Amino acid sequence: MSPPQQPTSINPNSLKIQLAYRFLHNLNNLNTKRSNLDNTRIRRSHRVKLAAYASMAYVVGSRRAWSRAILWKIRNRAVLARFKRVDHKITTPLRHHHVHAGSVKRRTPSCSNPKREYSDPFGNSGQEVKLRKLVPGSSTMDALGLLDETADYIKCLATQVEVMKNLVDLYSII
Amino acid sequence: MSSRRSRPLSSGASRITDDQIIQLISKLQQLLPGTGIQRSNKSSASKVLQETCSYVRSLHQEVDDLSDRLSQLLSTIDANSPEASIVRSLII
Repeated sequence: MSPPQQPTSINPNSLKIQLAYRFLHNLNNLNTKRSNLDNTRIRRSHRVKLAAYASMAYVVGSRRAWSRAILWKIRNRAVLARFKRVDHKITTPLRHHHVHAGSVKRRTPSCSNPKREYSDPFGNSGQEVKLRKLVPGSSTMDALGLLDETADYIKCLATQVEVMKNLVDLYSII
Repeated sequence: MSSRRSRPLSSGASRITDDQIIQLISKLQQLLPGTGIQRSNKSSASKVLQETCSYVRSLHQEVDDLSDRLSQLLSTIDANSPEASIVRSLII
């Protein structure tokens, strides 16, 4: 990882640079694909969010379970959306505004009593279950792998957030 | 994971040792934002997990907000083409 205070010597293989390139590439594709069709603000920000997660997962590739899970979800968005629409008719929706057809990133529903310790039938404590909901692709892992995946996921997510912040800064000074 | 005892797994897999868990949790702790590198070893595993959960949630929220802002900015800069081409030449 290149340290942020050395502008002259940039490691071209650092995670940040790779993420930046991939994210910009995905954004370009976004803009050229369907630029005039659905231009509502929510749809646009949702597509940018998808591009962000997709670029993150693409750079890491198949090395990690979470990236595989994200890539799988994105590639099968259309199929999953059909299942979700059926689900919404049956159960009451828990999420507030990410209910669109393309929305595959599941948000944790805000717990009504966060202090209470609850466990699922396998005897897992509440925190592990919460973590599994947050980190994609972590449902089929044991506790040790879950910790490892979480660490990698946090690292990549933090780098992606940094890249996006830099882009926002860059675009806002035009 | 409030207990730090090693958990018996299915046959064929080795037991999870306490050391491995401690190592991974300390690695997680170092990634969390806070006092930076010198996080004390006194915070228990459950606290680290709690902070990890909230950190991941806050990161998700930040991605949402940033993508909101980015989409707004991207829609407004398409009109100004000379600056956009400058930016493009700088980035790519």
